[in-house]
Amino acid sequence: MITCKTSREIGGMGHPIKRKEDIRFIQGKGRYVDDIKLPGMLHMDIVRSPYAYARIKHIDASEALKIPGVVAVVTGKDLEKYNLHWMPTLMSDTQMVLPTDTVMYQAQEVAAVIATDRYTARDAKEAVRVEYEPMKPVVDPYKALEPDAPVLRTDKEGKTDNHIWHWEVGDREKTEAVFRSADVVVKEHMHIPRIHVVSIETCGCVADYDKVNNHLTMYMTTQAPHAIRTVIALVAGHLGLTEEKIRVISPDIGGGFGGKVPVYPGYVIAIAVSFLTGKPVKWIEDRSENLQADSFARDYHITAEMAATREGKILATRFKVLADHGYTDAAANPSKFPTGLFSIGTGSYDYDTAFMEADAVYTNKPPGGVAYRCSFRVTEAVHAIERLTDSMARALGMDPAEFRMKNFIKKEDFPWKSPTGWTYDSGDYHAGLKKAMEVIGYDDLRREQAEKRKKGELMGIGISTFTEIVGAGPSRDFDILGIKMFDSCEIRVHPTGKAIARFGTKSQGQGHETTYAQIIAEELGIPAEHIQVEEGDTDTAPYGLGTYASRSTPTAGAAAAVAARKLRDKARKIAAYLLEVSEEDLEWEPGKFYVKGAPEKAKTIQDIVFAAYTNHPPGMEAGFEATHYYDPPNLTFPSGAYICVVDIDKETFEIKIRRFVAIDDCGNIINPMVVQGQVHGGLTQGLAPAMYEELIYDEDGNILNGTLMDYLVPTAVESPRWETGHTITPSPHHPIGAKGVGESPTVGAPPAIANAIVDALSVYGITHLDIPITPYKIYEALKAKGVIED
Amino acid sequence: MQTTISNTFFIEEPIDKVWASLSDPMEVVTCVPGASITEKIDDTHYKGAVTLKFGPVKAEYAGEIEILESDPSAHRLVLKGVGLDAKGKGQAEMTMNGHLAEKDGGTEVSFTMDVSIVGMLAQFGSRLINDVSDHLLKQFVSNFKAKLSGGEVDNTASAGSIARSVLKEKVGGLFRKEG
Repeated sequence: MITCKTSREIGGMGHPIKRKEDIRFIQGKGRYVDDIKLPGMLHMDIVRSPYAYARIKHIDASEALKIPGVVAVVTGKDLEKYNLHWMPTLMSDTQMVLPTDTVMYQAQEVAAVIATDRYTARDAKEAVRVEYEPMKPVVDPYKALEPDAPVLRTDKEGKTDNHIWHWEVGDREKTEAVFRSADVVVKEHMHIPRIHVVSIETCGCVADYDKVNNHLTMYMTTQAPHAIRTVIALVAGHLGLTEEKIRVISPDIGGGFGGKVPVYPGYVIAIAVSFLTGKPVKWIEDRSENLQADSFARDYHITAEMAATREGKILATRFKVLADHGYTDAAANPSKFPTGLFSIGTGSYDYDTAFMEADAVYTNKPPGGVAYRCSFRVTEAVHAIERLTDSMARALGMDPAEFRMKNFIKKEDFPWKSPTGWTYDSGDYHAGLKKAMEVIGYDDLRREQAEKRKKGELMGIGISTFTEIVGAGPSRDFDILGIKMFDSCEIRVHPTGKAIARFGTKSQGQGHETTYAQIIAEELGIPAEHIQVEEGDTDTAPYGLGTYASRSTPTAGAAAAVAARKLRDKARKIAAYLLEVSEEDLEWEPGKFYVKGAPEKAKTIQDIVFAAYTNHPPGMEAGFEATHYYDPPNLTFPSGAYICVVDIDKETFEIKIRRFVAIDDCGNIINPMVVQGQVHGGLTQGLAPAMYEELIYDEDGNILNGTLMDYLVPTAVESPRWETGHTITPSPHHPIGAKGVGESPTVGAPPAIANAIVDALSVYGITHLDIPITPYKIYEALKAKGVIED
Repeated sequence: MQTTISNTFFIEEPIDKVWASLSDPMEVVTCVPGASITEKIDDTHYKGAVTLKFGPVKAEYAGEIEILESDPSAHRLVLKGVGLDAKGKGQAEMTMNGHLAEKDGGTEVSFTMDVSIVGMLAQFGSRLINDVSDHLLKQFVSNFKAKLSGGEVDNTASAGSIARSVLKEKVGGLFRKEG
């Protein structure tokens, strides 16, 4: 039950107010990077490699340069003169901006064509002749580790294999001992497929270098504008572009989902060309370039094992991961976490023994992997534990709901320390699953399933009860390139009581303009509609590390609450002065301070703010502004209980999701309408890899589904009717008790769907199918089991 | 992307006549849709070009053909073609094993082609490559028969015609009545 402390007029937390930003979006008045048109602007297009692995013998741009309107063709050799042909990745690896001699994946940037208009640039791209000497690529990550595999990163001195790093956490020996003596052990090999975020807006930028003032304005589709400014200064500082000379503006963004965190070569080339020509340069990817070249997500091969007692008590888990990173580790994780927060994979269950290890390899595929609507590899971890939990329940002959209930961490045991070192802040897993089972009518469904099985019909019920880990993160552990992962808010209240609030985060559709305003309205009593939220301009916004990993509410949302509380403290002082009483005699209710016992003696927040500019107390600083940089003491741990029901056609193996109930616990809710919208979108993006999406490469490194004709993104047509609900377990350490919700559904949905499908097929002895689970995959699996013939 | 195309067809011509045409690249290539010989280097090496248009993708492969084996007595022919797209969009490689046998007074031609395509065409046409190959093959067979009987040869391979024919065959197949 959501209770609101503020009136509907103030519109603080809990009110389902409509999103302020939608007024412009639904009228087509959003301003995206491609809407930016500057005088004299040049356009860039990129020549890409048809090969997954090849030597570049020669690039002949002469025909392209003859085309009227073509200004230049830039190659790696050109960039090499400025030492801009390589750049660092966020994971301390290196990535080519443009190659000087070797291409490492199909669709890699090879040269850039600059022209006076976009069409000429595209035509001229076709006229650039590149001579390649193709080489046999390394595509399979397991083969990449074999001793005779060719070493791909010959640019790295002394590199003798394709291994990138090894990571481990937990107690190996203790885990092995538990596994040796356990009653029951289950093991599954899983591939969490390589997928793409497919944001509706592709990536792009307008780099505008002003030679006279030695100043760069970079309009860019980035989720983290401040971090980008610092990165540009680090990469291009030697050219005189120091940080005060750089302004990054992230305009409206049409979806990011982690794909707009990395720095792509196109951005750097555009900056270099603008720097050299002194003219603005626009680069906008097309749909296929976005899908084929930009950072992928996932691509974890996981061997997952669970040990339990015969009575159904989980004793330990063990995960071994092979991570395919493509030709460079361009993941976007916090520096100290090469596997991100994968170690959350011990799940929602109470046991104290676990061991996880991961090895990363180079292959001839695009680099990545980004945290696609996920706090850095949480989706992979949750899929592994939730699939494994079902396998164990099946091995024990227990109902998967009963098995979960038996093993959940109890509400009273929080804060709970996980065997991989996390301290879960709060949760009530039993309540969540109980609610989901009631809403969907679990017991009736199991009875129906038993009836259908007798008739030979395929019906499955799948559960996923996940624990998320979001809000990176506390400065003791979390940084990106050394910068701590705090986030910030600056509030300025104008004399008439209206405010502007600026943040270090950047909405890509999350609804910050509404939800941040509601947080401030909650704390200050200024109506949310009078609070303008602004993000994305590094010249005006306070420093912050941006929006991804569901971190905006846990970090910047907290900063907003704390900054607003600083202002409320000041308001109390001013009110005391105006009412001629002492501060202790004042009582706050949203929107005003009144004298205890004399509620008619009151000053509204608007009166108080006006006084801050017109009649401020002697000795007090005038004005009404506050800033806060919030460094979270811990991460937040949202959770959810999802139940999915599927029916599978026995002839065609078409999978129909009959029902899907999602009960989320994201702590206190800022705006239930925004949360519901986030959950709907996230569930659909969870359905995507469960049944449709996977980037497929053949043995030559050709991408076989590099267009949206072949890469299946589910739409409303494929989506079932999502039934959503919530339980509320506030975060004890977050100023407003919120936890973040953006990624929970993307993380929680795939195992619920996979578990339902496997449950339906378990009558044939199937215990696991890799996602995406398609009718064809079911056909193949049943053929392999001998259930059906060719 | 790799695919193997096998086919057997019958020609009502004596085996020696068929062999003479089939084993001479200068002759046989005129029947291959979109292909031409640009230069004869020696008796077993030729330079040639293949232009293929499929939808928005046009590939112009320039390459070499090498006759690896040509056995007139066994009527066996093995040749290999390697082509690079002129614009650097990809590479195609093909090894063909051909064999002729006398049958019912005519000749039975059977062959297997192992084709490997890397690059943009592989990307775009992965699902249709077999249909396109089938179509090109049919066109080749009809050209070859026509050539031997002194008829007209059509070796254009344009996007429109391939796409339309493939579509017609695919869609037609869906509605074709059994038997």
